[in-house]
Amino acid sequence: MENVLLIQTRVVGALVLRETRTTFGNSQLGYFWAIANPALGIAVLVGLFSMIGRVPPYGDSLALFFATGFLTFELYKKLSSSLMSVFDSTRGLLSYPLVVEIDVVLARALLIVATYLFIMLIFYGSLIVLGLASYPRNADQIAMAVLATSLLGIGAGLVNAVIMRLWATWKQIEGILSKPLFFISGIFFIPSAFPSSLVDLISWNPVLHCIEWVREGYYPNYNSVVLDKPYLLSITLVLLLVGLGAERLYRKKRI
Amino acid sequence: MIEFQNVSKTYHLKGVTKVILDDVSFRFPKGRNVAILGHNGAGKSTMMRLLAGAELPDSGAIRRHVKVSWPLGFGGGFNGDMTGMENIRFVARMYGEDTERVIEFVEDFSELGKSLTLPIKTYSSGMKARLAFGVSMAIDFRYYLIDEVTAVGDARFKRKCDEVFEQKLERSNIVMISHSMGAIKKLCDMGCVLNNGRLHFHDSVDEAIEHHNHNQST
Repeated sequence: MENVLLIQTRVVGALVLRETRTTFGNSQLGYFWAIANPALGIAVLVGLFSMIGRVPPYGDSLALFFATGFLTFELYKKLSSSLMSVFDSTRGLLSYPLVVEIDVVLARALLIVATYLFIMLIFYGSLIVLGLASYPRNADQIAMAVLATSLLGIGAGLVNAVIMRLWATWKQIEGILSKPLFFISGIFFIPSAFPSSLVDLISWNPVLHCIEWVREGYYPNYNSVVLDKPYLLSITLVLLLVGLGAERLYRKKRI
Repeated sequence: MIEFQNVSKTYHLKGVTKVILDDVSFRFPKGRNVAILGHNGAGKSTMMRLLAGAELPDSGAIRRHVKVSWPLGFGGGFNGDMTGMENIRFVARMYGEDTERVIEFVEDFSELGKSLTLPIKTYSSGMKARLAFGVSMAIDFRYYLIDEVTAVGDARFKRKCDEVFEQKLERSNIVMISHSMGAIKKLCDMGCVLNNGRLHFHDSVDEAIEHHNHNQST
């Protein structure tokens, strides 16, 4: 029998290509829109804020400030929500004896992370070329932060997926519960602008830590008042362990 | 080699409990072609899905140490939005086969022509079956799982299928469900009867069919 790891790599590779095809659809424009969408989201935010004459909460580029927040947030959001429905699409695939569910999870996660890495490279790159941003102070820190965000998103997505398998209504509830995250994760503010009592109130939010980590990596003099890497990594680890464990435990629940 | 170790599988659906397998252990003997017989609803298809790993047993383990096909006659693994060609590529990649060779084989075998560039959802069930059969014949499996191969195409095409299949059987084996005793007698050399969670093995197909008929009449 062939090497198991080799087989799994091959299967995940094939699944990534298939996932690419099903996610971005028939049109050539599919991938373009996937990339343009977050960019346009940031453009709208920049436009609105400039129109009402607001200055960036930090630094001197609104576009850069929103990019560090919004792109990081979207990476988390995309992972946690699209992995939630991953088990719906595994049913047919499981009839192939080679495929196990985690392969499909892995393939989908890899595609999302790769897409967002590409988006970030293009977006930050264009800002630098257009003179709207300087080079990041510490690119490795940004890379680490993006990695942590990805793992956090995968953990949350897996937990969501398992809950949804047991209780389908979770999809709606999660949608409502996670809405406020958009406003409390630091896309629009920096925590040091708030009184410490308010900061304490929002500092549990791991996505806020992700965004703060990216900003510390990007801006030359940014010192986050909330960033606690061990906290973020612990939450991530717990979510991943719970997600993987629960998947194993409830694997037989699938019909 | 495929092996069942203390496998149990029960369905609970809306208060109805159905035992498919109750603590079944056995090993598929090497080099034999096995028919699975059982009345409607005895769980033959579930058994196939267990063999393929599409479903998991409640307890026990199913070990597949050889390359086992997906249940043929079932196109559930194909993605309807992807074209025939894309689906072929996916399967070929997954099994580490040369994609171009597989495509060539399926193109030649399935006679689907230009339809291969259309999404599968536009296919008739006959076309889907041709594609699925073609893809599975392009890959060398040790075991083919056959879940009621329905008539694929006209008489000429059927002959072609039989020819390719016979070639395959020189080196591969099958596990098969069919309601056609003719097909079973032709392809299998032993049988097992699935009844009330138990699996009874018979060293000859005729014996198995007799047992099955006996169950049917009681």
